[in-house]
Amino acid sequence: MPQQLIISIGREYGSGGHEIAEELAERFGLHFYDKNLLKEIATEKNVDVNRLEKYDELPRSVSRKVRGFSNSPEENIANMQFEYLRKMAENGKSFVIVGRCSETVLRDYSCMISIFILADLSYKIDRISSQQGISREKAEILINRQNKKRKDYHNYYCLKKWGHSQNYDISINSSRLGIERTANILAGYIQERMSISIPR
Amino acid sequence: MVSQILAVVIFVVMFFLIITEKFERHIVTLSCGLLTLTVVFGACMQSMTAVTKTLALHRIFALDFWYHAGETAESSSGINWATIIFIASMMIMVEGMARAGFFRWLCIQIANLVHYKTIPIFITFMVMSAILAMFIDSITVILFLAAVTVELAQVLKFDPVPMILAEIFCANLGGSATMCGDPPNIIIGTALGYSFGDFITNTGLIAGISLVVTVIYFYFCFRKELLDSSGKSIPVTNYPDPKEAVTDKKGFIISCIIFLCAVFLLITHAQTGLTVAFIGLVIALATLLTSAKYIPDLMKKVDYKTLLFFIGLFIVVGGLEETGILIAAASFIENISGGNVKLMTAIIIWVSAIASAFVDNIPFAATMIPIIKSLSVSQNTSLSVLAWALSMGTDIGGSATPIGASANVVGTSVAAKHGHPIGWGEYCWKTAPAALLVLLISTICIFIRYF
Repeated sequence: MPQQLIISIGREYGSGGHEIAEELAERFGLHFYDKNLLKEIATEKNVDVNRLEKYDELPRSVSRKVRGFSNSPEENIANMQFEYLRKMAENGKSFVIVGRCSETVLRDYSCMISIFILADLSYKIDRISSQQGISREKAEILINRQNKKRKDYHNYYCLKKWGHSQNYDISINSSRLGIERTANILAGYIQERMSISIPR
Repeated sequence: MVSQILAVVIFVVMFFLIITEKFERHIVTLSCGLLTLTVVFGACMQSMTAVTKTLALHRIFALDFWYHAGETAESSSGINWATIIFIASMMIMVEGMARAGFFRWLCIQIANLVHYKTIPIFITFMVMSAILAMFIDSITVILFLAAVTVELAQVLKFDPVPMILAEIFCANLGGSATMCGDPPNIIIGTALGYSFGDFITNTGLIAGISLVVTVIYFYFCFRKELLDSSGKSIPVTNYPDPKEAVTDKKGFIISCIIFLCAVFLLITHAQTGLTVAFIGLVIALATLLTSAKYIPDLMKKVDYKTLLFFIGLFIVVGGLEETGILIAAASFIENISGGNVKLMTAIIIWVSAIASAFVDNIPFAATMIPIIKSLSVSQNTSLSVLAWALSMGTDIGGSATPIGASANVVGTSVAAKHGHPIGWGEYCWKTAPAALLVLLISTICIFIRYF
């Protein structure tokens, strides 16, 4: 039976973390999960995925808790994804997961490697403005807004803060080497990690 | 003056912390309660009498706490132990019923009786939600009803969200009909000495009229979604069987008997003289004694945090009362209404409703009780009219938003956990007009009947 491997990737908006995660999934022949995690959940629950996607990876709206029940759709969708991730990990599945507090949710699995991809602001602005065909000013506003959402979302569910190096096995700035070479470095690190087993 | 300022600061901080949910709400109220006892009563007022009066432990040992021989007397301020004992006892009874499968059985049995047809299920579940919530806390009612609705929606291929929203609304409406239906009513009833009969003939009547209007409103509101699914043919073998819901047949029969006894004792408590604290305690003991081997499980499921929350809350409100702040608040309402009792009543209904739509209606009701008592004395007006206005305002206002009442939170959470998240927009778009409609009916009913 092949060794179980879970790669958790946290990323700043515009850092290319998503592409790097896809690249690593391809190189290691792993299932790749980001938004599509909800598709699997929706299929399993026999519900409309569009309804779930509206609340994906968002900080919770004004809400209340009663006897452990929360009315926040964002929180319920997040917990649904956390449970699904734990279930996949428990079943011995190997995969790459982007975001969704996965570095914290799956921290008890020694086969999990957690990575955070960051980048310089100018690099992120270049990428987003060219990808989306928007001005640099608009790109900066979008980057700041998206990163704030990710940070608020993450920090609500996790004790350790989003992007703080202590929270991840490796944090890397993708603007130094670019997407491809950053993926190379990370692939090398993952190979090394797979050759040893680190108890958590 | 310093004690008044501190009492207000403690109350405002408590409310703010409850809303922000930074800390568990029982920790918040207990800490603020402790501050009230030590700083306001102890350091500022140096009044041991205020401490004793607010803790109100002596009341539990008085005969009239358990049995009223004649006319019910109004309780004084402080911790409302009758409310706490009654709520704790009902939690035990409800857990006993749930363990035996009563609620699931009832839901599926009703769906079975209407031959698993979507529209009849929609209507009967709304009515059942209201009737159950008259006697059982709305959280439990919705917890089971929403779960069965989702299950039936899977089998019968309909969208469960409209049905869950209607059930939540009807649970809150049903809760307003009786003294034991909703926590604000329990507090109002025990603090002001009203009986089950007083509630059912006043708020119950308004709730009954409102229920008819609500069923019609939600039918037209969700008709399209529900009619779309009612034509689908589903194999009969897929329908859930009510018998399978019963997990313990003997326990089921016993819990049904205990529940019926509780209903009977509550309906007749004005005649028998038994207080709700006594009835609650008897019912809880009966549940525990008849399920001896499940006692640890039943006791574990009691929501102690809610009970502690109540204790802390009553102390903080006691602080406002003892320092005279609530009399000042009552004077303020008097001034803005210019002594017009009709306007005062309308203010109580609508302000309670608006506040309850966004903040927990329990602390709001607890705070308002001394205020309406003071208004009743100063304006020489009927206390009961103000009490019914407060009851309808707090109970119905809570239905307008997803955070207004506990049942809303639990119902939307159950839906979301099954893959049917309900956002603020969707929730308010459908239920806020219904809440406005019922508040309007309540105002008109109170005006016609009492003025």
